[in-house]
Amino acid sequence: MPRILTIIVAGLLSAVPFTAMAQVNVFACEPEWAALAEEIGGAKIKTFSATHARQDPHYIRARPSLIAKVRRADLIICSGAELEVGWLPILLQKARPQVQPNGIGHLMASQYVPLLGAGANVDRSMGHVHAAGNPHIHLNPHHMVPIAAQVSDRLAKIDPANAAHYQSRLQDFTQRWQQALAQWETRATNLKGAQVVVHHSSLSYLIDWLQMRTVASLEPKPGIPPTTSHLERLLQQLNAAPANLMLRTPYEPDTASLWLSSKTNIPAVVLPYTIDGAANTGDLFALYEATLAVLLDKCRC
Amino acid sequence: MFKIKTAASAALIAVLSASPALAADADVNALRNEVEKMRQAYEQRINQLEAKLNQLEGNRAQVGTTANTPPATSRRRIADNSFNPSIGMILNGQFRQYSQSESEMPGFAVSHEGERGEEGLGLGHSEISLSANVDDKFLASSTLAIAEHEGETETETETELEEAYIQTLPGAGLPVGMSVKAGRAFWTLGYLNEHHSHADDFADRPLPYRVFMNHAYNDDGLQVSYLLPTDGYAEIGGGVYRGDDFPYGGNSGSGSGAWSAYARIGGDIGDNQSWRVGAYMLSGEAEDARASNEDLVTFTGDSDLEIIDLRYTWAPTGNARDREVIVQAEYFQREEDGVYKAPGAVKATVNGKSDDGWYLQGVYKFAPQWRVGARYSELSSDATPIDLIGTDLDNEGHDPEVLSLMVDWTNSEFSRVRLQLNREDLSGDETDEQAVLQYVMSIGAHGAHKY
Repeated sequence: MPRILTIIVAGLLSAVPFTAMAQVNVFACEPEWAALAEEIGGAKIKTFSATHARQDPHYIRARPSLIAKVRRADLIICSGAELEVGWLPILLQKARPQVQPNGIGHLMASQYVPLLGAGANVDRSMGHVHAAGNPHIHLNPHHMVPIAAQVSDRLAKIDPANAAHYQSRLQDFTQRWQQALAQWETRATNLKGAQVVVHHSSLSYLIDWLQMRTVASLEPKPGIPPTTSHLERLLQQLNAAPANLMLRTPYEPDTASLWLSSKTNIPAVVLPYTIDGAANTGDLFALYEATLAVLLDKCRC
Repeated sequence: MFKIKTAASAALIAVLSASPALAADADVNALRNEVEKMRQAYEQRINQLEAKLNQLEGNRAQVGTTANTPPATSRRRIADNSFNPSIGMILNGQFRQYSQSESEMPGFAVSHEGERGEEGLGLGHSEISLSANVDDKFLASSTLAIAEHEGETETETETELEEAYIQTLPGAGLPVGMSVKAGRAFWTLGYLNEHHSHADDFADRPLPYRVFMNHAYNDDGLQVSYLLPTDGYAEIGGGVYRGDDFPYGGNSGSGSGAWSAYARIGGDIGDNQSWRVGAYMLSGEAEDARASNEDLVTFTGDSDLEIIDLRYTWAPTGNARDREVIVQAEYFQREEDGVYKAPGAVKATVNGKSDDGWYLQGVYKFAPQWRVGARYSELSSDATPIDLIGTDLDNEGHDPEVLSLMVDWTNSEFSRVRLQLNREDLSGDETDEQAVLQYVMSIGAHGAHKY
């Protein structure tokens, strides 16, 4: 009898590591991080994105399905800087220790790049502002390089057997990315100095990267939806000093943008913003290609 | 050169000050001159350095922002106040107007917080909460509520410790997915119970919560929950409680007065819909008289509660911030064995007295800041025992029902103003038309909301 027990226990113990480490489970808060993880992990990982391009990543419900996914995750990758503050803490309550803050499986991308608007003296009367800085960091392609290195590093530590695989894929990705980046920057020189109207600060890093200039925001204050009086003021401002483009993301409502565009003849443009935010944006390279293509096509600059 | 001079003069000063008698005036003057020269030399160098620094900074400003410069890879900590407890406050004010001066609910033992709120302008239910991680293994949280209640002669302000609990963190060494909570808390029991009322979609709780739980069940106790390692959401749990909070009362402290168990599952349908259903059980004993109906009615005995809840959310455009539909329903069944006492030395033994109630509500967000909602709730009580005919517990053959309509405006995540209209038909005699104007505002830390 004791022998049978021993065999069962030994069998269970030896079975656990093999079944658990078949593929690394990666939970990404936003689709861009799932895409980045796939670039580095390839077939060795299984990714899940909590949100899609038509959702505002700040306003997500801590849905039961997400709680179940995070519980099984080996690595979570999120933007951080308070973007997921309304839902991620609930998901983490029943998750593994390694994905908790400061754990090896807890990767907040915004900790590895310089943030715009960080350290500003803010209070809530200024609207929805993040004291930690603007969290929509993925639209500056330079940011992908250090974050990709972190993804590779974390994956290698979580799944040491495939460390070489992650390392070589990182090198390959970084090399291809740098090449693409150089091309994008050459192509985008015309956009430099373009004056843009935005909906919210979701596109700030893209605008910063391409050295465009934000001249107005449809939201009177961050997070406060556009009001008629604010739009009237913008109309006057833009009639006096026209802008080149009016930009928004797929999840931002179109009403204000279309109205102002029809009054001012400034083209209202929806940028893909993230993976699958438009046709042919299935990976990070395609996302930037499509973003640049639409900007260059619509901008009269 | 400078170093030697500095060292030498420092040594000299030390010697001189240690033995002032030896110092001649001439020497002191020479030394002063020397020190003055050194000071000037240093100042000159500092000025040079400052000028250089200014020049460099100017150059950097011209280069511009972060554009085209690869970011630093250093890991920065984002300050999050982790060493101080998060402090938050919820302010909830209400203006209520009723068409009836009295509100009675015959057939049910209704306690303090199950009654309708005080008419007129007033504070509803303000909360102050503090929470923080204790260490690597525990989290502590407490919520103090300040509420107004209709007293015998005037409105009374009560301070209540709504919650004060500790909870294990994922690093506590328990199996993954398991957590233990101990102290006083809004226990997992039905949908609304574990939520603070400021997060509710209506200004008041539906009838089953008012009657069967006296607003909410937050007894002292301990609850264990376990999230199963399944691909879809499945959670089980249970707890033991003192048995002092409604529907129990007067526990002597020997053993536990009540226990609970629950199971729930949930998932998504496509990209934009999700759901959760649960079944809950609470069983216990009111050991020494649970008071209700302004302390005129008491109950001693066993009271068991079974609850089923459903919640469904749908974001038609994908973005729940823009448009959203929320449907929520709960069904309650209560069974009681024990002794009811009512004024006039009425004493009745009940055996398997079965009461039930349910509500169904729908909320539609039609613009980012605007929502409308409707809720219907109903109760039905078992046949009135002969001994209780003519008392508060005589249902007079009527089932209480309430229809509520609301519209609310949410300026930001932290502020909301709501207008609610209720049509309460509790006794079958007269219908109470109610209007409630409410604000809910939050300052300071505000934890993430549960599904």
